[in-house]
Amino acid sequence: MNLYEFEGRELLEKHGIIIPIGEVVRRGDNIVDAYRKLGLEEVVVKAQVLSGKRGKNNGIRFCNSLEEVEKAIDEIFNMSIRGQYVSSVLLTEKINIESENYLSITYDTNRKQPVLVFSSEGGMDIEDVSDEKILRIPLDIRDSVFPLVGGAMPAGRQVRGGFIESNNSSNFLLILEEYLEIAEKLWQCFLTEDTRVLEINPLVKTKTGEIMALDAKVALDDDAFYRHNKEAGERAKEKGLDPASITDWYKFESRTMLGRRATEREIAVQEIDKGEKYYQGTAGKYIELEGDIAVLFSGGGASIANMDALYQVGLKPSNYTEYSGNPPQEKVFELSKIVLSKPNLKGLWIVGGVANFTDIAATFAGIVQAIDELKPNFPIVVRRAGPNDKEGIRMLEECAKRNNLQIKIFGKEVSMSETAQVLADIISSN
Amino acid sequence: MSILINKNTKVLVQGITGNEGEKATKAMLDYGTNVIGGVRPGKGGEEVLGKPVFNTVAEAVAKFPDITTTTIYVPPFAAKAAILEAIESGIPQINTIVERVPIRDTAYCLAAAKEKNIQIIGPSSLGYISPGIGRIGVVGGPKAQADEIFTPGSIGIISRSGGMTNEVSWQVRKAGLGQSTAVHVGGDLLMGTTYADLLKLFEKDEQTKAVIIFGEHGGSYEFEIVDLIKNKEYTKPLAIYIGGKFASTLPEGMNIGHAGAIVERGKGAEEKAKALSEVGVMIADRYEDLVTLIKPFA
Repeated sequence: MNLYEFEGRELLEKHGIIIPIGEVVRRGDNIVDAYRKLGLEEVVVKAQVLSGKRGKNNGIRFCNSLEEVEKAIDEIFNMSIRGQYVSSVLLTEKINIESENYLSITYDTNRKQPVLVFSSEGGMDIEDVSDEKILRIPLDIRDSVFPLVGGAMPAGRQVRGGFIESNNSSNFLLILEEYLEIAEKLWQCFLTEDTRVLEINPLVKTKTGEIMALDAKVALDDDAFYRHNKEAGERAKEKGLDPASITDWYKFESRTMLGRRATEREIAVQEIDKGEKYYQGTAGKYIELEGDIAVLFSGGGASIANMDALYQVGLKPSNYTEYSGNPPQEKVFELSKIVLSKPNLKGLWIVGGVANFTDIAATFAGIVQAIDELKPNFPIVVRRAGPNDKEGIRMLEECAKRNNLQIKIFGKEVSMSETAQVLADIISSN
Repeated sequence: MSILINKNTKVLVQGITGNEGEKATKAMLDYGTNVIGGVRPGKGGEEVLGKPVFNTVAEAVAKFPDITTTTIYVPPFAAKAAILEAIESGIPQINTIVERVPIRDTAYCLAAAKEKNIQIIGPSSLGYISPGIGRIGVVGGPKAQADEIFTPGSIGIISRSGGMTNEVSWQVRKAGLGQSTAVHVGGDLLMGTTYADLLKLFEKDEQTKAVIIFGEHGGSYEFEIVDLIKNKEYTKPLAIYIGGKFASTLPEGMNIGHAGAIVERGKGAEEKAKALSEVGVMIADRYEDLVTLIKPFA
């Protein structure tokens, strides 16, 4: 889950990183109150979106009066930034900047470890910064303290995680020395908050010599929710720790990367994989799209292959949905019901590969239950194989009979992509 | 021959008393794999499917010092401790089936494993199968289905997806060919064993004449193949399907398919296909075409 700037910077502040004072204004909030609370004349108005490049897209405004702030907020709420819906704005104090830098910690997938990236050029995309201005420090996740902390720079260029990379390392290490304290704080944030990405751009030195994070790009690891919820807070309390040290991720508002607010159906599906059995098969993936073919895919890999196949035959999906692992019948039922409830559907494609150990009868029981309830009148094409597939298909055939469905069911004798064409043919002949 | 599995493979199942652990144990035994027993703290001395249960990995290793492979069937929040226990005991190969392991835990385990030269396949890996020799995990499903899909042959298979490991292997079989080893590497952002790692093994394996890969958009592991081929560390025919062309129409940062399949500019299915095709890799437009492309080399 990607965080908005106003959420991400709070996470940084929690770990002692200095951020400008600020106030969040959501749509409908009282702007005057927020401006007065801030108590400053000069403020920066920043659109809160999940994509970068806000500055270039007119999403950051410098204002000198309440009137200017009101005008800026009104304009920002009436635009989208790189296709992203603006859900709120952040008002912050204006900082007098001495110099701008860049600092981030993310996972390097080729090295399979975290890497800290520092650049003496900040404020622009790191991809656009020339390589000789970038310092990379590979980090070992087992290091509970940032490896360069402790004053002196290492004599060589090696840390436990590997070799520090830079075309000009001695210079860089000198520059970095000033920023070591914040690097250590960022590392502690990375280690305890289960982030996948932590980026401060720009990381500034102010005219008065303070080191401050002027932006925050944070991605949380969706698989670590169980360590960042109410129960985790209670576990911390039992261990004599401060429960407030656990940020409850469930308190973050729901969001989508699609440049719009999450739809009711999308929010409903997110609930499916929550709770104690969250890891027992997944059925909580649903993205609403603009087409009219409902899809129920099994398996992450098959689902993307099938999306490609559907577009190849000229059909357009109404959703992207996938269940995988061995989800219980109830999860598949909930998911299917939501998928089938979208209005104006022209067809349904239920498709998956040859399953390893997914119980086809159990998952199909969930689909059958949803069909019985919603009785779709559009054509359905099914392709699936795996354990208990005969029983699953028999159940589906009976369901088709009692609901008068227009349905075609295939096993593994036909490939998945071929059945996309079958559905296209039925729809065009109807 | 084959890769990752041979006649001397001896398997431990961590989490053997759980549903999934027991199911996997049965799947392996049915396929003729030598499962020596399992681990479940507090249940030492019990038996599952006639195999002994130990309290710790260390106890199991003391009794069976020649365990080659351990398989991890525990909930995600217990995965790190289980994997580290296996690493401590020095078991050379660890198959982690667990899905939804936090990336921080995966990184921790991979760092610890690397130090001891231990191979982790996964997380989120359903396992691997060498037809006629054995299987680790549940790839292929129940024995009767596995026998329908898998038969010894010359095609090596690597897949990011568990279902597609089976599906692609089935397309190979349907075309009258067989498989040397089929490996589900798992769909996470951090992969313990990558395409490149496996291609190096397939290169040395005499049974394997060609390899097919089911890949996905997102991540950069496919680009490692380009370097491998340029350095002549892999020289056999290779065909690849990279799913997720449609994802280029989605905004950056979206997660479609597996955890590792995040929409990133410059790392989409099309960019990968282009880079790979420049070094002679055959690109399949649909996953079924993998077999058509590779058949002349089988």
